[in-house]
Amino acid sequence: MNENLHERASQLLAESIVEGLRPADETWLREHLASCTNCAQEAAATQNVLRALRTVPVSAPRDLAARTQLRVRLRAQQTSPATNGSFWLWAVTAASWLLGVFSAPLVWRGLAWLGANFGVPKLALEFGFVLWWTVPPLLAAAIIVYQKALAAEWSNKN
Amino acid sequence: MSTPAFTLAAAPRPLLFAGFMTDDTHALATGLRQRDPDLLDHLIEQYQQRLYRYLLFLTGNPPLAEDLFQETWIRVLERGSQYNGKSKFESWLFAIARNLVIDASRRKKISSLEELGDPESNAPYDPPDERAASILQMLVSRENEQSVQLSLLKIPAYYREVLLLRFSEELGLEEIAGVMATPVSTVKSRLYRGLAALKTAMTEGAA
Repeated sequence: MNENLHERASQLLAESIVEGLRPADETWLREHLASCTNCAQEAAATQNVLRALRTVPVSAPRDLAARTQLRVRLRAQQTSPATNGSFWLWAVTAASWLLGVFSAPLVWRGLAWLGANFGVPKLALEFGFVLWWTVPPLLAAAIIVYQKALAAEWSNKN
Repeated sequence: MSTPAFTLAAAPRPLLFAGFMTDDTHALATGLRQRDPDLLDHLIEQYQQRLYRYLLFLTGNPPLAEDLFQETWIRVLERGSQYNGKSKFESWLFAIARNLVIDASRRKKISSLEELGDPESNAPYDPPDERAASILQMLVSRENEQSVQLSLLKIPAYYREVLLLRFSEELGLEEIAGVMATPVSTVKSRLYRGLAALKTAMTEGAA
């Protein structure tokens, strides 16, 4: 009979730690521990184990956080939004170039019409046509330079 | 003889976040999605001890624990958008770390890392080797708690892990289940068995 009581106390003790107890069981356990030296000692030993578990004194190496922060920032820099945006820049540039190639005959006709109807000098028309071809890559180059500046700023910030 | 002080139920204390944003998991999720470098710096500082301790006690290998610590934060950076803010950040963080430990254990045999998956299947009781224990022993500084910590090293990793998550990291049962991707019933079972194994190890150590 007594063995059963101690066994129950031991089980409730474990339950109290893992899941918590119903009030009735908690009361019973308290009363049992108050009257049973062995079980009370087991409870105290268990509490000591838990206390030690809560305060496991392991310290991370002093510079581990700093090294990790540096590595994370470098990785962030390698895969920064500016880098990811390059794909779209190149895609838009390619689309612009294709559009320029296929629309060139129309543009040339338009410029010829301007020359015929408004007397625009041939040199100006040729200059306009050159601009038609060079403005998109110049714009793309400007955007790339701007992106690089952003990436440098991101790098400095990181 | 006086009755030793006894407190029932080891309810986890609320986790206190020390800094900006981290008290709001949704704001945290937003920051991670935006890969905010300052936020990541702050999180690395904030969780360095807890994460390193978890990894060290799982692997028993300080250099490997350091590598996995760094890899964990790289994963946090790269997969930050997957954190939805509905669960505690530390649960998500420990789950990432745990997966990396499992990956590492598949790549090479880690002496102190027994099977983390299913201890009740066929896993034999296989304490970590003396080398790993001695390395960890060097890191344990308080003499009055040494026996508990050394005993902790003698029990299987799957018990050690659950005991650490519950009583050292003070995660709830559901949170531990989330970290380990197992049912709550398995977590409870491992806690009971782990406590019993720890007591046995301590008794044997004292003998």
